[in-house]
Amino acid sequence: MLPTYLTLMLLFPLLGGLTCAVAGRKLPRALVEVLACATVWGSFVCAVLAAAAYTTPQVITLADWFASFDLSVPISLYLDPLSLSMVVMIGFVCGLIHVYSVYYMREDEDYARYFALLNLFVFAMLTLVLGETLPLLYLGWEGVGFCSYLLIGFWYSDPANADAGRKAFITTRIGDVALMIALAWLFQLFGTLSITKVNGMGFLMPVSVITMLGILFLIAAMGKSAQVPLMVWLPDAMAGPTPVSAMIHAATMVTAGVYLLARLLPLIGASKVALAAIAVTGAVTAFYGATCALAQRDLKRVLAYSTISQIGYMMLGVGAGAVTAATFHLLVHAFFKALLFLGAGCVIAAMHHEQDIYKMGGLRRSLPLTFWSFLIGAACLAGIPLTGGFFSKDSILLAVWLKGGVLYQALYLLGLITALITAYYSFRLVFLVFAGDNGHVHQSSGLTVMQIVLIPLAILGLLGGLLDLPAYLGGGFLSGFFASLPAGDLPTALHEQEIALQVVAGIVALVGLLAAYLRYGKARAERIREAQAQPSSLISFLAGGWYFDKLYDLVLIRPYHTLAGFLWKGVDEGVIDASVDGLGSGFGGVGRLLGRWSTGKVAVYLISFAAGGALILAYLAWLAL
Amino acid sequence: MSVPLSHVLIVASLMFAMGLGCVVAWRANVIMMLIGIEIMLNAVMLTFVGGSAHWGIADGQLFALMLMALTSAEVSLALAMVVYLHRRKQTVNTDNFDSMKG
Amino acid sequence: MTSLIPILTLLIFLPLCGSLLVFALRRSEAAARGVALAFGLAELALCLWPLALTGEKAAGAPAGYFLYQDAAWIERFGIRYTLGMDGISLVMTLLTAFITLIAVLSAWQVKERAGLFFSLLLALQAAVQGLFLSLDLFLFYLFWEAMLIPMLLLIGVWGSGRPVYSTIKFFLYTFVGSLLMLLAIIALYLMHGAQSGSYTFALPELVHTSIPYDLGLWLFAAFLLSFAIKFPLFPLHTWQPDAYCDAPAAGTLMLGSLLSKTAAYGLIRIAFPLFPEASRAFTPLIYVVAVLGIGYFAWIAFAQRDMKRMLAYSSVSHMGFVALGIAAWSPVAVSGALLQMVNHAVTTGALFVAVGMLEERADNRDLSGYGGTWGKIPVFSFFFLVFNMASAGVPGLNNFVSELIILVGTFRVAPLAAALAFLGTILTLVYTVRLVQEVVFGKEKKPLDLKDLSLREAGVLGVMALVVVALGVHPGPVLDLFRAPLEVLLKP
Repeated sequence: MLPTYLTLMLLFPLLGGLTCAVAGRKLPRALVEVLACATVWGSFVCAVLAAAAYTTPQVITLADWFASFDLSVPISLYLDPLSLSMVVMIGFVCGLIHVYSVYYMREDEDYARYFALLNLFVFAMLTLVLGETLPLLYLGWEGVGFCSYLLIGFWYSDPANADAGRKAFITTRIGDVALMIALAWLFQLFGTLSITKVNGMGFLMPVSVITMLGILFLIAAMGKSAQVPLMVWLPDAMAGPTPVSAMIHAATMVTAGVYLLARLLPLIGASKVALAAIAVTGAVTAFYGATCALAQRDLKRVLAYSTISQIGYMMLGVGAGAVTAATFHLLVHAFFKALLFLGAGCVIAAMHHEQDIYKMGGLRRSLPLTFWSFLIGAACLAGIPLTGGFFSKDSILLAVWLKGGVLYQALYLLGLITALITAYYSFRLVFLVFAGDNGHVHQSSGLTVMQIVLIPLAILGLLGGLLDLPAYLGGGFLSGFFASLPAGDLPTALHEQEIALQVVAGIVALVGLLAAYLRYGKARAERIREAQAQPSSLISFLAGGWYFDKLYDLVLIRPYHTLAGFLWKGVDEGVIDASVDGLGSGFGGVGRLLGRWSTGKVAVYLISFAAGGALILAYLAWLAL
Repeated sequence: MSVPLSHVLIVASLMFAMGLGCVVAWRANVIMMLIGIEIMLNAVMLTFVGGSAHWGIADGQLFALMLMALTSAEVSLALAMVVYLHRRKQTVNTDNFDSMKG
Repeated sequence: MTSLIPILTLLIFLPLCGSLLVFALRRSEAAARGVALAFGLAELALCLWPLALTGEKAAGAPAGYFLYQDAAWIERFGIRYTLGMDGISLVMTLLTAFITLIAVLSAWQVKERAGLFFSLLLALQAAVQGLFLSLDLFLFYLFWEAMLIPMLLLIGVWGSGRPVYSTIKFFLYTFVGSLLMLLAIIALYLMHGAQSGSYTFALPELVHTSIPYDLGLWLFAAFLLSFAIKFPLFPLHTWQPDAYCDAPAAGTLMLGSLLSKTAAYGLIRIAFPLFPEASRAFTPLIYVVAVLGIGYFAWIAFAQRDMKRMLAYSSVSHMGFVALGIAAWSPVAVSGALLQMVNHAVTTGALFVAVGMLEERADNRDLSGYGGTWGKIPVFSFFFLVFNMASAGVPGLNNFVSELIILVGTFRVAPLAAALAFLGTILTLVYTVRLVQEVVFGKEKKPLDLKDLSLREAGVLGVMALVVVALGVHPGPVLDLFRAPLEVLLKP
C-alpha cells in the first residue's frame, strides 16, 4: 500500500497544478479553488495513511527517470521518520494555507496561475523531501525555487516584485550549483547517486573529501535556507502574496536546506570541520536575523528576518549533530511561523494592505481571534516557557551545549543572546500592532474564515512541545521515532543539566519579554513619535540588513552589468570580431593596392614585364654562377 | 667560314635590349613602340636562324618565315588600331590610353 | 523486406523531391505551402520507421549500424555512396525531420517568394539528412557543403538587418573551415591508400589508418577548426550572432537547431574516432574553449537588448556543454552531449520560433518594446516561460537531464572543467530571467496591440513544449538508442 500512498501523495498536487496551469483560465473559479485545496488535502490524507502504514525505513522505486551506462537515476522515494514527519507537516500546513489563500486572493483575477503554482510547489516540496536519489531531490529543490520565483513576482506589474522574484531565483541558484557539483563529485567517488547508499559509504573516503562535500552542501543550504551570506533574497521575497510568504518563505521551502543537511548528516557528520562550519553559519545567521528584525518597520519583513534567524537555529542544531532537535524545531517553527504570517495576512487584509507596524495598533479589540493566535505565535517565537517554540529551541541549545568545546560553548552563548533579542522583537511586534487604540479595521466574511484557519496552527504551535518533551518529562515522541535515524553519537544530558539550561533559556525569554513591554508596551506612544524622526545610523544599519544588499550591489551586480557591456562591445565586437573584420579589410586593402598597379597604361605593363624578365635573368645568372 | 653561335646570340641580345629600350623609353609614341617590338621580334628571328644554321636543322628557318608572316599581319593590325586610336583621341601617346585599368 | 526498400536513400531524396516539386509549384503559394507541409510530415513518418528496426543488423554493415546501403559511385577515386544508420544517426534524422517540420509551420506567414522559401527549407533538410547518414567522407563533405547553399540563400534573400554582410561573413567563415577539412580528408585518403593499397573514403576503414603523431595533430586541427566554426566555439563565433539575427525566423531555427548539430555530430562521428591520439592532445584546449564559452557567452547575452541576439549568444553558450561532453569522451559524457544536442535543438529552436512570433506581431525585437505580456497574451507567455525555464536548466524539463549527465560524465575525467562549466549556469539563469522579466512580466513599456497565438502557432509551440517535457521526464528511450553506437565509437 505504501507505494500507492506515496505515488498519490505526489500525483495529486502535480495533477492539480497542471490542470490549473493548462485549463485554469477556462474553468470556473470555484472549481479551481476546490480542486487546488482538494488535491493538497488529498495529499495530506495520503501522508497520514502512509504514516499509519509505516513500519521501517524503506526505499520505494516507482519508475526510471534516466539512465546512461553506469549512471542510472530512478524515481525512487525514501520514507523514514525524517521524511515522514516532514510530509505530514507539509501536507497539513500547505492544506491550511491553500484554504486561507482562497479567501486572501478573493479579489485577484489571476487565480488560475496562483493555484497552479501553489499546487506545483507542494508537489516539488514533497518530491524534495521524499526523493531518494540526489537528482530527484534536486528536481524538488529547483522546482520549489521556480515556484517561489513566480510566486514572489506574482503581482508582476510592479517591477519591484518581479525583481524580488528574480533576486531569489538567482541567489538560490548559486547554492544549487554547489549542490550539483557535490552531486557530480559523489557520483565520481561512489558511483551512485542514491542518498541512502551514499550515506552508508562515507567512511570509505578521507575526511578532507567529506569536509569539502560538506561545505558544498552547506553552500547549497545557504542559498535555499537564506543563511549568511546568501540570505539577502528572503526579506525581499516578502513582495509575494502573504499566504505564499507563509507557505514557502516560512514553513516549508526555506527549511529545505536544513532538511538536506539533516538528510546527509550520516555522510558529512564524519567531518568535524564541516559540522563546525554548519554550526557557525547557523549561529551567525541566527544572530544576524534577530538583530535585523529589531529595526524593521514592515510587518512582513520582521517576520522574514525572524525566519532567517530561526532557520539559523536549525542549522546550528544540525551543526551540533542533533538532527532530532533540528527537525523538532523545524516542525514547530513551521506551525508557529505559518501562524504568524497568516495572522499578519489577516492584519494586512484588515488594514487595507498597510504593512508599517508603526501605523497599526489597537487590533487587540477589533481582531481578537487574530490577536490571540498571533500572541501564541509570538510566544512560540520568543520561546516563552512551555510553548512549542520553547522546547524545540531549547533542545537545540541543549545539544550545542552538550557538544562541548570552546567553539560550541561560544555558539551556545550567541544562541542565548539571540534568544533574548528574539523575545524582545517578537513582543515589540505584538505591542506595536495590537496594543494601543485606533483599531479601525476593514471586516469581511473572508477575514473570518482566514482567522479560523489560524486556530489549528495556534494549537499546534502552543502544544508543539508535546512532540518531543524533554527526557525528564518522560521523553518525547520524536526522539523515539527518530531513534532509528543513523545520527551521530550524541551525548545524553543529565536531567539536572537539562532543567538548568531550560531555566536559563526561560529566564532569557522572559527578560526579553519584559524589556519589550517596558519599551514598547508602556511607552508605546513615545516610540511611535520617535519613529517619525530620522532613524539613527545603527537603526538604519540594522534595518538595511547590515547593508549586505548595498555591498553586493557594489561588488557583484554593478561590475557584472558593466562588464557584460564591456565584454560585448569591448571584447566580442571590439577585439574578436574586429580582428576578423580587420583580417578581411586587410585582404581587401592588399587587393586594392595590387589593383592600383594595373593602371591600364601600356608603359607600366611593359616596364613590369621588363623588370620581371630582368629578375628572371638575374636569378638564372645567379644559379649559373 | 661560319659565324660562331655565340656571336649571333650576342647580336640578338643587343638587338632585343635595344628594342626593349625603345619600347620602354619612347612611350610618347605608339609607332615608336611598335618599331621597338619589331626590333625585338627580329632579334628573336635572328636567334632562330642562328640556331638553325648552327645545328643544321631547318626548323628554325621555318619558324623565322612564319614569324615574318605573323609580324606583317600584326603590324597591319596594329597600325589600323593606331589610326583608329588617333582618330578617337588625336594623340598617339600611350599614356593616354588606360581604359583597361584594373 | 526492409532490405528491399532503401529507407536511407528515401530519407535523403524525399525532401529533395519535395524541394523540386515545391519549386515547380512556386507560383501558387498555398499549393507550395501545402506540399511542403506534406513532405515534412512524410519525412517525419519515414524517420519513425527505423525505430522499429533498431534491433536488427544490416548485411555488410559495420558494427552498430542497423541500416546500411552501399553502392559504387566514382570508382576511379574509391568514392562510394555509403549510407548507414545507427542509434545516433536515427535520433539526428528524427530531430532534423521534426525541426524542419516546425520550420515549415513557423514560416507559414512568409509572403515574399514563399514557394522558393519552402523549396530551400526542404533542400536544406535533404542535405542535413544526408550528412547525418553518410559513411563515406567524400559524401559527408559533399553534404556539408551542400547545406551551405540553401542556408546562404535563406539568409541573403529573406534576411533582415544586414543580410548580405551576414551571409558573406557566414560563408567565408564556414568555407575556410570546410576547405581545411577537405585538405585533411584528402591527406587521410592518400595516406590510407598508400598504407593499405585500397584508396577509399569509407569512414569505417579510414579509422584503421595509422597516422604519425605530428601529422595527426595537424589533420585533427583542420577537422576541429572546421567543426569549431560551425559549432561555433569561442573565439570562432563572430559570424554567428549576425547570421542568427539577420536570418528569417525559420532560417534561424534551421541554423541554430540543426546546422550547429552537424558540427557536433562531425566531431563525434569523424574527428574523434579518426584521430584518437591527436584528439586527446587537443582535449585540454576544447575544455578551456568550452568552459570559457559557456560563461563568456552567457555574460554577453545579458547585455543584449535584441532578443534574437540574446538567444544567439544563449545558443552558443549552451553548445559549450556539448563541446564539454564530447571533449570528456567518456560514454556517459558523450551520451549527455548527444542528448544535449537534441535538447538544445528543441529548446533554443522553440525560443527562436517564439521570438519570431513576437516579432511578427509587433515588428520589434528590442526588449524595451515589450513587458507585461502575461496579462495580454497569456498562452504565448506561458510557452515562452516554459522554454526559457528549460533553457535555464530547471529539472523536469529537458535541458536539465542532459546537462546533469554531461556534468556527471565530465566530472570524472575533468572535475575542474565540469565544476567551472556549472558555475556558468548561474549566468545562464541571470540572462534567462532577465529575458522573461522584461518580456513577460513588468509593465507594458510601449502600448502594443498583440493578439494571442493562433491555433497553428499554439500547435507548434505546444508540440515543442510536449517534447521538452517528455525529454525532461522520460529521456530513457533516446538515451538507450545512443548506447550501442557509443559502445562501438568509444571502444578502447
